[in-house]
Amino acid sequence: MPAQPMNESVIEVENIVTRLGGALIHDGVNLSVRRGEVTALIGGSGTGKSVLLKEIIGLLKPQAGMIRLFGQDVWNVNESGLMALRRRFGVLFQDGALFSSLNVEQNVALPLLEHTKLPPDECLELARLKIVLAGLPVSAGIKMPSELSGGMRKRAALARALALDPELLFLDEPTSGLDPISARAFDRLIRLLSDSLGLTVFLVTHDLDTLLTMVDRIIVLAHGKVLGQGSVEDLRKIDDPWLRDYFSARYSEEQA
Amino acid sequence: MAEPALAVSREGDQTIVRLSGQWTLAHLSSAPVLPVMLEGSLVMDGSSLAGLDTSGAHRLISLLRQSGIALETVQMRGMSPKASQVWALVADRLRLTEGAESVKPQGLLYQIGLGTAESWHHLTGVTAFIGRVVTEWLGLFRRPGAFRMKEFTVQLESVFVYAIPIIFAMLFLLGVVFAYLMGVQAQKFGANIFVVDGVAAAILREISPVIVAILIAGRSGAAMTAQLGTMKVNEEIDALSVLGLSPYGVLVLPRILALLLAMPLLVFIGDVAGLLGGMLVAKTQLGIEFSQFWDRLDSVLKMKTLLLGLFKAPVFAVFIGLIACRMGLSVSRDARSVGANTTSTVVQSIVAIIVLNAMFAVAFSDIGI
Repeated sequence: MPAQPMNESVIEVENIVTRLGGALIHDGVNLSVRRGEVTALIGGSGTGKSVLLKEIIGLLKPQAGMIRLFGQDVWNVNESGLMALRRRFGVLFQDGALFSSLNVEQNVALPLLEHTKLPPDECLELARLKIVLAGLPVSAGIKMPSELSGGMRKRAALARALALDPELLFLDEPTSGLDPISARAFDRLIRLLSDSLGLTVFLVTHDLDTLLTMVDRIIVLAHGKVLGQGSVEDLRKIDDPWLRDYFSARYSEEQA
Repeated sequence: MAEPALAVSREGDQTIVRLSGQWTLAHLSSAPVLPVMLEGSLVMDGSSLAGLDTSGAHRLISLLRQSGIALETVQMRGMSPKASQVWALVADRLRLTEGAESVKPQGLLYQIGLGTAESWHHLTGVTAFIGRVVTEWLGLFRRPGAFRMKEFTVQLESVFVYAIPIIFAMLFLLGVVFAYLMGVQAQKFGANIFVVDGVAAAILREISPVIVAILIAGRSGAAMTAQLGTMKVNEEIDALSVLGLSPYGVLVLPRILALLLAMPLLVFIGDVAGLLGGMLVAKTQLGIEFSQFWDRLDSVLKMKTLLLGLFKAPVFAVFIGLIACRMGLSVSRDARSVGANTTSTVVQSIVAIIVLNAMFAVAFSDIGI
């Protein structure tokens, strides 16, 4: 933590090539994410954002290229190395992916019980801490996932992603399916956690407001490659039809 | 260096707790305990702290609480900006975890009440379900064009065609076993030929209908519940309703009717398979030639034995279909419920088959057939 330099790359993706069912999804994707940064990956539907996310977290193997997390090649470590790597990051899946047979507390406590030697009581207390850190009332802990609203489900899933105190957090469309108020609150929560816990955050999103309010750097994926990266201002300068359409509607309103 | 540690010293009337090492989740299992004896104001010194995360901060705050020290009175010094941010966040939010309820095991009375309420709910649900299915079915007479022929044939294929090999193999083996066991007894009395009577009556009247029904309940009933349940979870059932299509007309009726048609056919195939198995054993073990077996069968087997077995099949089919579709549509929106309802379909169907079969046995003997 403090000993490590802040400009160190946490995620490095080099020349990724992916083919799915004959279609070329990625044709040489290169990107890197520095420690402590909140980075967003955007792109049109079908440009392989979620696929890239799955490749980075070691769920889907790319045809060619290299992915390094914390300096280790994800696709070239043994099983135990991958497991150790996975304990250092948390993932928030799009629909939460909470285990429906466990209540919220048990969902959050599960990784703690499995991967630490802490006594069960302390695991449960830590789970409750994570639940309130994710912005849920502690009384939500004994609810089953099917009893939660969409926004609460996301927060519960965030609590589970934070359970092992990861250094890196992956979010797959964190604000999709949330109303604008909940979505902005969720953005603020992620920013707060990122700032106060020193989390590196990598998110896939469609939400322009998220980009405008909480993201340090944006990476645009198009035509199988990284089209550009930087702030919203930087991306405005890129001449690409999709990017122009993406920014034009909302951004002109903001300027007016 | 890496292990979390703390050292307590005194400076005047202040107690200094000096933290060192990694106070992070990965190193926590070996964290020390705070000495109980603490007096005066407490200062926490984090100048040699190597790392602090939310779990570490939680452990420290728990230690302070166990020693009866109010968090507000603790002074901090020498903490890195990052560590103090983590500390502040955890100290702030931890207050919110107070008053957490745990899941209380409910008493016997509660369980009985819950069970009664659920049974009542189930009963009204079944009644409403049967009512809907019958209404839809009657509606087909007015508008035969509304019948989903494609879904019906698809279901018939999976319920009937693909079930033929397993039904044939199972009933053939049961015919073999039954003829063999009867043969052992019959040989003692030199009554070999009567094995034919026994095998024919048992297979056609009882074994084939019941075993076929149980196999279909496990094979097709479970599949129907799982499929309809997953569609319910995916909101496909709601989508059908909104598009102006009745899930009962589109999904339930074709399934029940496919079962209704498939079951008697499968029972007949089972009859043939069982008799073939019996014939094989009769020849190898008892020396009864196929022609002898056939002659005997022709003279003792009455048409009504076959028809009784075939008559039971559609009754079983209706029960399996109703149970499977009803359980499928009553899935709640989670994965566990799909599993629970699928299990329930198989159990309910098998119980229904056995009970119905017993009722048939009593009824048939009462009316003398």
